[in-house]
Amino acid sequence: MPTELTRIIELFQFPFMQRALMGGILTGLMGGMLGSFTILRQLSFFSDALGHSALLGISIGLLIGINPSVILLPFAILFALGVTYLLERTRLWTDALLNIIYSSSLAIAIIILSFVGQYKGGLNNLLFGDILAVQELDLVLSSLLLIACTVFIGLTLRTQMLLTLHEPLAIARGVAVSAHRTAFIVLLSLVVGVSIKAIGVLLVSAFIVIPACAARLLSRTFTNYVVVSAGLGALSAMVGMVVSAAFNLPSGPSIVATQLAIFLTAMALPRLRVLGHG
Amino acid sequence: MKEIVLSVEQLTVYRETYAAVQDVSFILEAGTDMAIVGPNGAGKTTLVQALLGILPRQAGEIFILGQPLTRKGVLPPYICQQIAYLPQNFLFDRRIPMTVEELVGLGWDNLGFQLPWADHRKRRHAIREALARVDSAHLRQQLIGALSGGETKRVLLAYCLVRPRRLLILDEALAGLDVRSESEFYQLLYQLKQEQDWAILQISHDLDMVRRHCDRVLCLNRTLLCQGTPEVALSPDNLSAAYGSEFVRYRHHH
Repeated sequence: MPTELTRIIELFQFPFMQRALMGGILTGLMGGMLGSFTILRQLSFFSDALGHSALLGISIGLLIGINPSVILLPFAILFALGVTYLLERTRLWTDALLNIIYSSSLAIAIIILSFVGQYKGGLNNLLFGDILAVQELDLVLSSLLLIACTVFIGLTLRTQMLLTLHEPLAIARGVAVSAHRTAFIVLLSLVVGVSIKAIGVLLVSAFIVIPACAARLLSRTFTNYVVVSAGLGALSAMVGMVVSAAFNLPSGPSIVATQLAIFLTAMALPRLRVLGHG
Repeated sequence: MKEIVLSVEQLTVYRETYAAVQDVSFILEAGTDMAIVGPNGAGKTTLVQALLGILPRQAGEIFILGQPLTRKGVLPPYICQQIAYLPQNFLFDRRIPMTVEELVGLGWDNLGFQLPWADHRKRRHAIREALARVDSAHLRQQLIGALSGGETKRVLLAYCLVRPRRLLILDEALAGLDVRSESEFYQLLYQLKQEQDWAILQISHDLDMVRRHCDRVLCLNRTLLCQGTPEVALSPDNLSAAYGSEFVRYRHHH
């Protein structure tokens, strides 16, 4: 076993592993923080749809020769604003409309990718991510975004709480509801956008949803809930990366599996306590 | 003459395609408890939601503490801080992790940009006082999703009075309270009105309570049918105009 441990420590000496770990932690923190509001506002499917649609952004980037990291952020913002506009204009159900948008983007993306011959082998990486390919530019973007999220959520925490609880009460208090809604959606899209390269289009919404659900099971107050959610996001990234290094497993899926383990533990905790007292 | 807290001039509000409120004008002075009465579908909730900027209006002007409410429903923040609103149906997701203390605290906050720990002590003190005033100090640590209907009303009232205000708008706030809670509630409103000069605008279906406790009454049925003291506005003639003559005969016989 000591040799195994040494091997993991040695592995984390490599800069690419350090970048991967750092990227995972940043994504975990941001996803957890915004995720806590996202699930209560019933936007979890939005993050999923955005993740899937991002493939369209990437494939357009590949077709015209732009780095996916660069094209994803403007794509995410356009997607967020477009969906918000459509949701306000049409009187369709949110989940149905999102389904139309993401399945059609996915279809168009795959058609475009079939023209980009040399990238066919990379489809797997796009779907499930390649956390080991995280570059310094990605880390810088993620760090800036984490700062932006923390400042925004921190300074408007009480407004966000009231908006999440009951919109009319917030309007009566003079809160600009639609500006706030747009700002939140844009931030959420940016978080999904910067995380896609590392975690892939299929798994990115797990970072938004699973830690937040686990945190909900573990907290009584709203403030704790947001902090615990961000903490669990970071913790699952760290544990997941170590597990993936130890057993030579793919990184993104290892992190999501760790999130699941934490969620199941959170579900089981009250029952375990009852058994302990009984 | 007392300060005019709320002034409404020829207000018209459309819901879908019809005018739910048409050409309504009135003023509300400080230290006055005004009731809005009228049958179901008379536009009472529409009226107060338009006053709060929740619903857009098609015509008319609204002034709160002398400041105009813009067509987009915007008031200066320092005016918003002077208004408290208790909605008719406080429907929220009961799975939300939020304690009573946190909810009442939201009533205290200035909802601009602020550090979450700003004025921590003052805030906590105000929350405890407000909860004690509505007899709910014991609920402080409870999750709001676990409250009963009556408890929720008390806690929301604490949310309204956690900070001194000038205008309190209640949309059937008392429906669902038992007799004792109801009379305590009216006592509290009386104190706010007398001691702190609050203006109160409340929608009510309980005409006997309105007679006993309110200073002014608006009879509404899409348009304003009459306004005045309860003796005038709730006279049989005016009531039959608002609710129909059958209703008045029924009330007199029972």
